[in-house]
Amino acid sequence: MQKKILLIPLIIFLLIALIFFYLLIIERNPNSIPSAILNKNVPIFSAETLIRKEKFNSSVEFGSELVLVNFFATWCKPCTDEHQHIIRFKEEKNIKIVGINYKDKPEKTIKWLKKLGNPYSVIPIDKKGNISIDWGVYGLPETFVVSSQGVIKFRHVGPVTDKIYKKISLIIDSEKNGS
Amino acid sequence: MVLKNYFLIILPIFFIIISSFDSNSVEPGEIIKDKGLESRARKISKNIRCMVCQNQSIDESNAELAKDLRILIRKKILENHNDKEIYKFLTDRFGDFILLKPAFKLNTLLLWLLPFLFLIFGFAFLIYQNKKSKNNF
Repeated sequence: MQKKILLIPLIIFLLIALIFFYLLIIERNPNSIPSAILNKNVPIFSAETLIRKEKFNSSVEFGSELVLVNFFATWCKPCTDEHQHIIRFKEEKNIKIVGINYKDKPEKTIKWLKKLGNPYSVIPIDKKGNISIDWGVYGLPETFVVSSQGVIKFRHVGPVTDKIYKKISLIIDSEKNGS
Repeated sequence: MVLKNYFLIILPIFFIIISSFDSNSVEPGEIIKDKGLESRARKISKNIRCMVCQNQSIDESNAELAKDLRILIRKKILENHNDKEIYKFLTDRFGDFILLKPAFKLNTLLLWLLPFLFLIFGFAFLIYQNKKSKNNF
């Protein structure tokens, strides 16, 4: 009996070690934070748009087709790095892309887009950062997949890399087939 | 020599006093004139995590988002929203992670209760062992 009780700490230790080992080998980013807005409707907002200077209304723009939403700024280096992949989404996936321009200078953004290419169908301007707060955005760039029902299906914080491009492509394909 | 000794006493005291000041990043332009409302805003801000730096509250952080959230909280207070509504607004968007002190809910039950369970388990184990060793002698 005495010996059996001494085994308990060892078993607990092994159990904890096993959990740690499992968390170590599965593919996950320990810095990523569970998103609160996943599987919820897109936030309702309106804003002025870049270039065409029209009024952007979220209830008009979302809910009829699959949309990719990309939060970006010209002063954010990872945004420049991922831009080629955003263009790839437009060219290879033929998806509507809404680019939300976070706290930027409009003239600078226009120049930036002329240089790197403009994959966005429409660019609402988030002048004060309120739109980003509504989307729970905390680190640029961020990319969302919004279903044709206007529900947020996927979120990626940080630049779109080759690997993330493939991941989002699969989600886009399954959403297109599903709806 | 005497001067050096004085320095050795005064310098630590100086730093202790300085570090005991309430350090915050609230800028003068953000502050609400009404002291009661401002202290409410400060109290909420101290429990809201800066999502950019993650281990600071928005009250202490200089990050852009922290500033925006501080302003937003004050705006909501001035619009007569209560604390619960403000917390809900923030957790709806950023999740429970934004709270530095997690809420007591079904999915955080283990987080809150596990230390007490371990304590009870530990005491039970100690009592059991104690009884056993007494029986042996």
